[in-house]
Amino acid sequence: MHDGSGRIVVQNLSKRFGAVNAVQNLSFTVEPGSVTGFLGPNGAGKTTTLRMLLGLVTPTSGMATINGRPHSQLGNPARVVGSVLENEGFHPGRTARNHLRVYAAAIGVPDRRADEVLGLVGLGSAADRKAGGFSLGMRQRLALGTALLGDPQVLVLDEPTNGLDPEGILWLRNFLRSYAREQRRTVLVSSHLLNEVEQLIDQVVIISQGVTRYYGPLEQLRKSQQSRVLVQPADPSALVKALQDSGITGVSPTPDGRVAVAGSSVQQIGDIAAKAGIAVYGMQEEHADLERMFFQLTQGQYTGGQPGYPPQPAQPQFQGPPPGYPPQQQHYQQGPPSGPQQQQQYWGGPQQ
Amino acid sequence: MGNLVKAEFRKTLSLNTWWVLLIPLVLVAFWLTFVWGKITNDFADFLGGRDARQVSETIGLDPNKIPVGLLALAHGVNIAQLVPGLFGIFALAGEYRSKTITTTFLTAPNRISALTAKMITYVAWGAIYGLVSFGVSAVAVMASVDSGRWPSAGQWLAALGGSVLAGALVTLFGIGFGAVLRSVPLAVVLFLVWFLIVENILVIAFWLWGNVTILGGILPNGTANGIVGGVAADAFGFNSLNLPDSVDAGAQLALQYTAAAPGVLSWWASALIFFAWTMVFFGLGWAGNQRRDIT
Repeated sequence: MHDGSGRIVVQNLSKRFGAVNAVQNLSFTVEPGSVTGFLGPNGAGKTTTLRMLLGLVTPTSGMATINGRPHSQLGNPARVVGSVLENEGFHPGRTARNHLRVYAAAIGVPDRRADEVLGLVGLGSAADRKAGGFSLGMRQRLALGTALLGDPQVLVLDEPTNGLDPEGILWLRNFLRSYAREQRRTVLVSSHLLNEVEQLIDQVVIISQGVTRYYGPLEQLRKSQQSRVLVQPADPSALVKALQDSGITGVSPTPDGRVAVAGSSVQQIGDIAAKAGIAVYGMQEEHADLERMFFQLTQGQYTGGQPGYPPQPAQPQFQGPPPGYPPQQQHYQQGPPSGPQQQQQYWGGPQQ
Repeated sequence: MGNLVKAEFRKTLSLNTWWVLLIPLVLVAFWLTFVWGKITNDFADFLGGRDARQVSETIGLDPNKIPVGLLALAHGVNIAQLVPGLFGIFALAGEYRSKTITTTFLTAPNRISALTAKMITYVAWGAIYGLVSFGVSAVAVMASVDSGRWPSAGQWLAALGGSVLAGALVTLFGIGFGAVLRSVPLAVVLFLVWFLIVENILVIAFWLWGNVTILGGILPNGTANGIVGGVAADAFGFNSLNLPDSVDAGAQLALQYTAAAPGVLSWWASALIFFAWTMVFFGLGWAGNQRRDIT
């Protein structure tokens, strides 16, 4: 049967729905003992990927395994993996307790487990109410309760914070953390908002347009954050030239006529500008946050092209990306970024 | 598999559908049987002299002692068995409707076992519905038909077996029909319209104007009805397989219609052909579910 490792492996996974490539050649691994965020904008292929992992959708190619096995070969799968999916249904006429008792029977756990999980997710007092009258948040809790029935080693949650109030989100964070860390289990949480799960996750897989953009520890992504300085010079092209002559490579123009400089301090830039005799009207130090990084990693999905660097007719010398700025996507298909070139990538350009 | 069957029973028992559907089933089974029993109690009056003589000659019975109760029972059971058909439609199409199919598949070892458990459970439910409709119809027979015209012990048993078999098969048919159409409302409407109206019109129209008498013996409604109807027709010797050539088409229609199964070949032929229909729909529904992406 399965190897009991608690490891999720997604390997060269692809899914095509008619003419639409929902997921393209996706690969990542999720290890036990940590909470992994699975991030991407809506429509990026997250739900399809999770449903392939759970055997609900058949991959066009590649494979997705839990404990080394596809879902259909796990034996009693609900004992290995529990899941909270969007679009998961409850019969509106069935009470929460009866819903759980149905699936407790299917999994083969005793009926008292239904009451245990009701207490665990905070629905004890609503046990005999019909699911049709539940709020979105209560439905999420009931879905989580269903996922926990088999006391699974692996938990997969698709946008679990949807419909939860702040208190519910906080509760979920604490719950999933202790589930993953104290009990050495695997938790994979998808979201389209990094800040909703940022406090919760240790590892992150970022996808966009069905392709992996980044996967690795969140800490590494955080460390690669770098501040940049936005300079408003009298003559942008002269400043760019002066900076490049001084060996500063992280330079790019912004659409509003300013120059963004990464990897330099305000003093350095001021000195260079003064030496070159270029008037500087203002400088602004900007610190990136993860959300912005996430946005830049995943943007372009709906704009159809490379983000940033629109042609600027007024400044012909800056047309097109400067050297060292190839299309972003190429950098993030092969795992975590490293090296100066990728650091620049986080500043790929102005947000569109 | 035991766990999954238990889960399927809990699914049905935790909702009201199973007993709500029993209401129309009991009403239809009782009243149709009762009314038909009253009408056919005096069989000679009902059929008129010539046909009645022909029948009684065929089966060698006094017209006043032929078991017309069996005919009445066939009418009640045949309409009542649409109820387990509806119940079957809800089995799978209903799970897609409420989206519980996701959890059903996630908590079963694989789709084959999930669907097999459903099939076993619903066969049992269909048999229970068949049993109830037989019981209610039997009471209606006793209430409407003189005791001398009740079925014999063997005929009672045959009708009981036929009712249970038909109930189970119609339920499976409903599961497959719902699974193929993937919509509860559409499946319910089409099922009722076909079984109650369209097929009856086709059978009678082809019979009267095309002299085609076989349709009722091979189409889904005709064969489903032909299981219990065939038991009745067999008892009277007027199913199509052993009807004397001397009986003309019009009389044949009238006679077989009294058993609620115009065109019936025999009970076992009906059972086999309806089983084939069930397998066609169930097989298509099963195959579709086996591969279908649940998104």
